[in-house]
Formats: sequence, structure tokens, C-alpha cells
Amino acid sequence: MKLLEKYNRINIAVTVIIMLVTGIIYYYTISQILTGQIDKDLVLEENEVFSFVKQNNKLPDVYESNHQQIFFSPLNNQAVQRRFVDTTYKETDDNDIEAGRALISSVKVKGQNYRIMVVQSKVETEDLIKIIFLITIGVIAALLLVLVMLNRVILKSIWQPFYRVLSQLKQFSLTDHGSVNSTPSTIDEFNELDKAVITMADRVRSDYQNLKAFTENASHELMTPISVINSKLDTLVQTDEFTDKQSKLLNDIYGTVARLTRLNKSMLLLAKIENGLIKDDGEVDLKEILEQCLYQHEEMIHQLNLQLVTHCDDKKLKASKLLVEVLLNNLISNAIRHNNQNGTLSVKLQSHQLSISNTGEGTFDFNQVLKRFHKTDASEGIGLGLTLCKQICDNYGFTLTYNSNNGTHTFAVIF
Amino acid sequence: MIVEDEAGLRESIEAYFTGGDSVCETAGNFTSAMAKVSMYRYDCVILDLTLPQGNGLDIVRHLKEHQHNDGVLIISAKNSLDDRLIGLDLGADDYLTKPFHLSELKSRVTAIVRRRSFDGSSVLKFNEISIDLAAKTVKVNNAVVKFTRKEYALLLYFISNKGKVVSKSAIAEHLWGDSIDIADNFDFIYSHIKNIRKKIVEAGGNDYIQAAYGMGYKFTEA
Repeated sequence: MKLLEKYNRINIAVTVIIMLVTGIIYYYTISQILTGQIDKDLVLEENEVFSFVKQNNKLPDVYESNHQQIFFSPLNNQAVQRRFVDTTYKETDDNDIEAGRALISSVKVKGQNYRIMVVQSKVETEDLIKIIFLITIGVIAALLLVLVMLNRVILKSIWQPFYRVLSQLKQFSLTDHGSVNSTPSTIDEFNELDKAVITMADRVRSDYQNLKAFTENASHELMTPISVINSKLDTLVQTDEFTDKQSKLLNDIYGTVARLTRLNKSMLLLAKIENGLIKDDGEVDLKEILEQCLYQHEEMIHQLNLQLVTHCDDKKLKASKLLVEVLLNNLISNAIRHNNQNGTLSVKLQSHQLSISNTGEGTFDFNQVLKRFHKTDASEGIGLGLTLCKQICDNYGFTLTYNSNNGTHTFAVIF
Repeated sequence: MIVEDEAGLRESIEAYFTGGDSVCETAGNFTSAMAKVSMYRYDCVILDLTLPQGNGLDIVRHLKEHQHNDGVLIISAKNSLDDRLIGLDLGADDYLTKPFHLSELKSRVTAIVRRRSFDGSSVLKFNEISIDLAAKTVKVNNAVVKFTRKEYALLLYFISNKGKVVSKSAIAEHLWGDSIDIADNFDFIYSHIKNIRKKIVEAGGNDYIQAAYGMGYKFTEA
């Protein structure tokens, strides 16, 4: 529920309840006052009857006027208590029955007790109350309407800074380098929020930067010990004879060091791309790199007896040659490594996209393989290849897509 | 001349390069390196960029300012293109990123020294094999033998590292670059070497390539 809606609901409910209570109190007070007024009229009439009886020693004629009726009825010995009652009032000309107010009293004429009942119609009073009630309802409705509109306008304008901060938060991304802008406001709470958001964003970003810098530095620092190991190994193999067992061990060490190096280089490269440190963009001839890359892999293509289908248009890009090489090398080496014996490798370079497809069994979840260090059981890679590809594509605004169809896997880079 | 602050690496390089007709000197920091390049001339200076007390690039600047013609090969843990470009712009001959195989370093240094000492002539001779480095052709007993690009590169690599055991890892990295999984290529090394041997022997040359305990190969005169 939106804040405005919630606020309005509460506001309206409370207003309506208060108005209703006020209305009821209002109604009773007014009808009390008006009944009092009628009662006064009735007493006046009674007094007139009394003074008439005193002067003339007889009952006055029964008349009807001004919505007032008077009735006399002889009483036997019982006493009548003087009282006001609510009753009905029956118009003589027509048969409308209206609400009325009556005063019952008694008078003694020539030794005979008479009961007096003076009835007055309350129709005017009720009309008055009705009008007052309608006006009150009207005022309530108008007030509510104004309240709702006012809330809407005021809230919208007052909350503007909040929405601006919110939209900045939504767009906030650790990897892009735009910063959160300050949204000044005249309201202290929003200023505080704004400050908190900016501080948070800066802190998060600086923590992230530190982390990335750490990855980069760590990978970097590892290079020196690795190169020492490497050089010691190269020196070691120059010394004398080795048994089969020793040479097997040395081979394993060589392989592991090579793997470590590759892993470390990939991590370093990833960190560098993420940190935006690769800025050697120049014109890159994709076709040339592609041909070079296929040449590098010719032995493997030959060994698997792959049928190589290439269609290369000229395509030049503005990018880092190193990164494009890494991208193409990874895609092609994947397409070969996961291919079947006697399978097909198809490379198609067009002006809008590069697609590389290979035959091969199995399926995989594209989003899973993009994750770092994700490997299938059979994979001998280090699990960073496609992550790197994705990162490179993102870096240049390319899209990396994958689809699988009947044992043919196609990776495409859309420029 | 080896300028490298990491003692382990410096000693390994020195051990690998010393012998045959080469003489090596070493420096472990900026000051002693500067002192040595000011006094003596070297065929090639292997230079680490990040040194205690200074930046290796200043040594390159010093050499060029004094018009010293020493070859310079930069080795650095930083694979940053900026450093590479600055280094090469300043007049360094080559740039190698750590970690590297000693055989790779040797082949690069040999190439630099060769370029400097041949004075225009670009023919490399090894017994009955002669390699025209400009035309990239190989002659055995004066008859042209056709090699593929990789075979040619491999032969040159072996000759640069003659007498040394060159590991399969180093060969794979040299031929295919480091972005390719090296283990994938070990089988192909064997077939390339087999082809080189066959071609040289068929042209009447000797078989100089020996397998070394399954770890690598050694190119020897014997």
C-alpha cells in the first residue's frame, strides 16, 4: 500500500468518525434546544388557557392554529400529572400524521376537572434539523475532498526528495562508477536520509574497491613466488639424471605450476577488467585475430578430426586486442574441448555478431557456467573462462548468448 | 647483466645463463644496477621494473640518454600495457611478464643479442643447419627444408636453448601462448618434434633433439 493511500485511509476514517460523533452530539443538542422552544410555546398556551378560565370561568373554544391543537376532556376524580410527552400530531385538513410534542395538564372549571392536552407539530423543527444535518454532511464531504486533494498534492511535493533518493538507490550498482548524487531538501528527515544513503554508498563502494584491489594485489604478489618456483624447476631439470618416478613428479609439478599461473593470470585479468584498468582500446581486426586463434588450435581441431566451417566477414572493433584475444581463445577452445570426435566447429563472423557453434553432448545451465569457478566434472579448465568472456562482453557492451539445439551448442557475441 | 631484486629468481637466471660462452653479472637493487650500467657495457640487460630504491624504467632512460647500445629486456610482474608501452618506447627491446620459463627468457635474450651482433646479417648457423631469420627459412646442408610456422618457432627455440632441458610446459607456452590450457597440447609437441627430426634427418642432418626423461627435450650438439 502506498504511503499516501495508507495515510488517506487513516485520515479519512478518523475524520469521518469524529464528524459522525460531532454530528450526533450536534443533532441531540439542537433537537434539545428546539424541543425546549416548543415546550415554552406549550406552556405559553397553557397559561393562556388558565387565564381564559380565570376570567371567563369556562373552557375556551377548541381551535387550531399555527400547528397547534388543544384538547379538553373531562376528568373524574383522578389526578393528572402535568407532563410533556412526545406524541403524534394529526393535521385536520389532511390526514398526515406528523411527529408532535404535547403538554398534558389539568384545569378546574366550575368544580369539574378537565384534562388539557396541548399538541404542537414538530414538523418545522424536524425540517430545520434536516437542513442543518444536510449542511453538516455537505461540509463533511467538502472537507474530506479538500483533505484528500491537499494530502495528495502536499505529500507528492514533500516526498519528492524521498522518491529521488529511492530511484538513485534502485539504480545503484557496485560495478558502475556513477556516484549517488545529493538530493537537498528542506526537510531534516530527508536530508538525514540523503546523507545516510550517500555515506552508505560511498562506504560500500570503497569496501568493494578495497576488495577488488586486494584481489588484484594478491594475484599480483603471487606472481613473484610463482616465477621463482618456475625458474627453480627449470634449473632443477638441468641437473643430472632423473628416475622415471622423479620425472613423473616433476611433470606433475610443472603442470600444477602452469595451472596456478593460468588461474592467477585469469583472476588478475578479471580484477583488472572490473577495475576498468584495461584501457588500451584500439582498432582490432576481428577476422585477423580469429584466424590467428584458429591457427593456435589447429592441432586440436586436427586431432578431433573436426569439420571446420568458417565464414568471416571483415569486422573491426574498437577494443583492447588482448581482451578480444582472450575472448575468442576461450570461446574457440571451449568449442573444441567440448566437441565430439569427427564433430563440427562452425565459426561465423558477421558485422553484427560472431557465433561459434560446436557439436557436443550434454546440456548445461548457461547462467551457472558464467559463475566463477563453475566446472562440470569432465572439464579440465580452471572455471574462469566463460566468466572472463562475459566480463569482457559486458565491458564493451556486447551481449553473450548461448543456445543449444539438437546437440549443437552455439555461443554468440552480439556487438 | 641481470637486475632483479628477488634473490631466488636472480640466482636461477644466473645459473641458467652462465656457461657456454656467456658471462653474467647481477644486481639486486637500483643503486648497484645503475653503478654497473654506468661503468660497463652489456650485450643485454635483463631488467626488473620494480626495484628497491628505484624504478627500472630509469635505468632504461639512463642507457638511452648516454647512447649506450645495450639490449634491454624488461621482466615485470605487472602485465600492464602502460609499463610495457613506456618500456618499449624508451628503447627496451622486449618485455616479458612474470612468471616465465627460463628457456623463454633465454630465447628472447638470444634474439636480442643476435639482432645486435649480426649487424644486418640475419643468418643463424648451427652446424649443417642454417636459418635465415628475415625470410624465416631453414636450410640443411644448403638445401631448403620446409617447416611449418610452429616447427620453425620450435627449432629456433631449441637452438637458443641448446644444451638445456626444455620442459614441455615451456614449449607449449612458447608455441601456443599462455591463454591455452597447456596440458591439452603435450601430445602435439611430440608430433611437432617428430616432424622436425624427420625433416632434418631426411635432408641429411643429424638428430640433435633428445627426449629428457619424459619431462622435456634437449637440443645438443652430440
